[in-house]
Amino acid sequence: MMIFSLIAVTAISSIFVIFPEVTQAQTEENVFVTHNGKVVKTTGEVIDPLYAEATMEFDPMEYLRDFDYGKTSPLPDGTTLREYTIVAEDDKIMEVSPGVFYNAWTFNGSVPGPTIRATEGDTVKINFINNGSKQHTMHFHGIHPAEMDGVFEVVGGEGGQFTYEFIAGPAGVHPYHCHVMPLEEHIVHGLYGVFIVDPKEGREPADEMVMVLNGLDTDFDTENNFYAANTIPFYYQHHPIQINTNELIRIYVVNMVEFDPINNLHLHGNLYKYYPTGTDLVPSFYTDMITLSQTERGIMEFEYQYPGKYLFHAHKVEFSEKGWVGIFLVSDSEQETLSLTAGDPNEYGT
Amino acid sequence: MELDKKPSRVKTVASGLIPFVFVVILMAYIFGPGSDLLDLGIPLPEITIEMVDFVGSEVHATVRNTGPVPVEIVMADINDRIQPAAVEPNRFLERYETALVRIPFEWNEAEPYIIGITIEDGTRFEKEVEAAAPRLQLSSELIGFFAIIGTYVGIIPVMIGLMWFPFIKRLSKNKYHFFLALTVGLLLFLGIDSIEEALEVSDESLAGSFNGVLLVATVTILSFLGLYYTGEKLIRRVKDSPYAKPVAIALMISIGIGLHNFGEGLAIGAAVGLGQVALSTFLIVGFALHNTTEGLAIASPMAKGKPQIGKLISMGMIAGTPAIFGAWLGGFMYSPFSAVIFLSIGAGAIFQVILTLVKWIQQENQNRLSSASIVSGIAVGMLVMYLTSIFV
Repeated sequence: MMIFSLIAVTAISSIFVIFPEVTQAQTEENVFVTHNGKVVKTTGEVIDPLYAEATMEFDPMEYLRDFDYGKTSPLPDGTTLREYTIVAEDDKIMEVSPGVFYNAWTFNGSVPGPTIRATEGDTVKINFINNGSKQHTMHFHGIHPAEMDGVFEVVGGEGGQFTYEFIAGPAGVHPYHCHVMPLEEHIVHGLYGVFIVDPKEGREPADEMVMVLNGLDTDFDTENNFYAANTIPFYYQHHPIQINTNELIRIYVVNMVEFDPINNLHLHGNLYKYYPTGTDLVPSFYTDMITLSQTERGIMEFEYQYPGKYLFHAHKVEFSEKGWVGIFLVSDSEQETLSLTAGDPNEYGT
Repeated sequence: MELDKKPSRVKTVASGLIPFVFVVILMAYIFGPGSDLLDLGIPLPEITIEMVDFVGSEVHATVRNTGPVPVEIVMADINDRIQPAAVEPNRFLERYETALVRIPFEWNEAEPYIIGITIEDGTRFEKEVEAAAPRLQLSSELIGFFAIIGTYVGIIPVMIGLMWFPFIKRLSKNKYHFFLALTVGLLLFLGIDSIEEALEVSDESLAGSFNGVLLVATVTILSFLGLYYTGEKLIRRVKDSPYAKPVAIALMISIGIGLHNFGEGLAIGAAVGLGQVALSTFLIVGFALHNTTEGLAIASPMAKGKPQIGKLISMGMIAGTPAIFGAWLGGFMYSPFSAVIFLSIGAGAIFQVILTLVKWIQQENQNRLSSASIVSGIAVGMLVMYLTSIFV
């Protein structure tokens, strides 16, 4: 009899496991619209990293046009000294996509770190403080003495300090990143940023922005789970970058993606002049598609003739479908001056 | 006497309960003051995508939290491309809780897909589907279709196998023992086959926390014990009549085979339901061929008694019809867990039948099992099954 009751218990309990869809009475209905316009109704919750408004600590829109020129003071020889303080940390848990939490390692609290900007010939002095638990350094791409290379001069954690000092050059756009082994780990966790060196004669005035193309390997399987321009996947898709027609746009693009050998940037409805590494004042290409390998970077310049919504994204479509996609919302500059009071062109209808 | 007995019963109960009390104290300590002991190590969250359905222009994934800690579902993807989705009833899953993730997606029939689900710590879990096929909708047409397939696979071959009855009846005692042993060989193969199948399903679709191998072992043994107990009772009851015993044994065999065929029907229904249409054609042809041998297994013990056509046919039905029910269940509400359970029950049933048969052969053969006819019978039975199984 024991056996039968055992079998009966097993059989009955298995029924509950077999049919797990317990009917949950819920009256409230959520609705969401997919990108091809399909309306989906659900009694449950919507998880939509593509258009969900996330409350991120890091604001890619602010980062986009934020340049740190440092604390300037004249030197006896007539050149300029620019001083910066950069603090490294490695215990920050950041919400990188709605609901996804990642242990980012940061320079000055963000990924990418601050965009350090100087003019060719300036003396750049960086007071580096390592408040992390691991060793970190700052390694700049560019021309500088060996002892300022941030490779062999490892800075210990819990308050270790180092002062990097060198003459900014050559003119162009360069990355900086931590160079402590295991290097890949220190880079992919977020210890990188952009270093812009302006030519002495300056560049034509423009609406300037920085885009660091990066990836996030949230499950540490040496494959990126997310890609983005400036860390947050899909950010510039749900927060289009507002620009004007007939205004020169200049983007400093740096590819910091690891694991995947290449990345690229494709612009819709337009072509850009491309200056590899930004070291030459004459563009090398006029194209809408540039492929970049690790830490490969350059300057892109373009103007939009027609107003409207234009995508920009990796034409390695896998990357764009995992977050590296954005929108330029181009407003008619003449109309804008006319209708400054007549409402905002903020309706991009996603 | 009465007074003496009472305190001793209290003592018995008390001595039985005291260890339990200590178990309770042990548990209370671990979860209460001793909970620091549990903080060692990092509990890794885990989810399992148990089922993927293709419904209209949506992909549905049934997700279960099979890890030690609660999880939150934050993202869905198809072929590693992020997709917006809906989670019902909600995205928070306690241990063993399930949720349905609905991903709007214009999928293409017969193409492979990998469904990925990401949880709050950024870990992604995935499940591969070999070929997308629409989930079968319950319709009278499909019910009929599965009934025909079940008949073709289960009932007809078993009936054909039963037609060997007159042949076996005419055989000498030695040759008859050969056929009884052949039945043992056939069943041995079927039992191992069921277990293999159950392990395969649990390996592919059940989370580690279900302890797939132990689940199969437990259910197989429980099924064996349950049927052994019933079977012995049945045989003991008919002991007096020499004609009834073979019938009882044949009945046990047909019940065992019936449970096994239920598992086969499940496999066929699931194959159709999961869109592995080519595979299911092979399954149907293979099973049909294979199952004629099952008719032989039922006919052999019966051959000793009077020809009882009615009984033979009803046993054929007992053995064959479960294939239809299996196909229905497999096609319309397949779940890997139920498949593992049913396959294991079938395996246990078959092993019970083998034991009964072996005991009977031994009794028939002056307590010996080592005669040439018996050994060769078992060997040929295994070989025949193996050769016909190649078609499956």
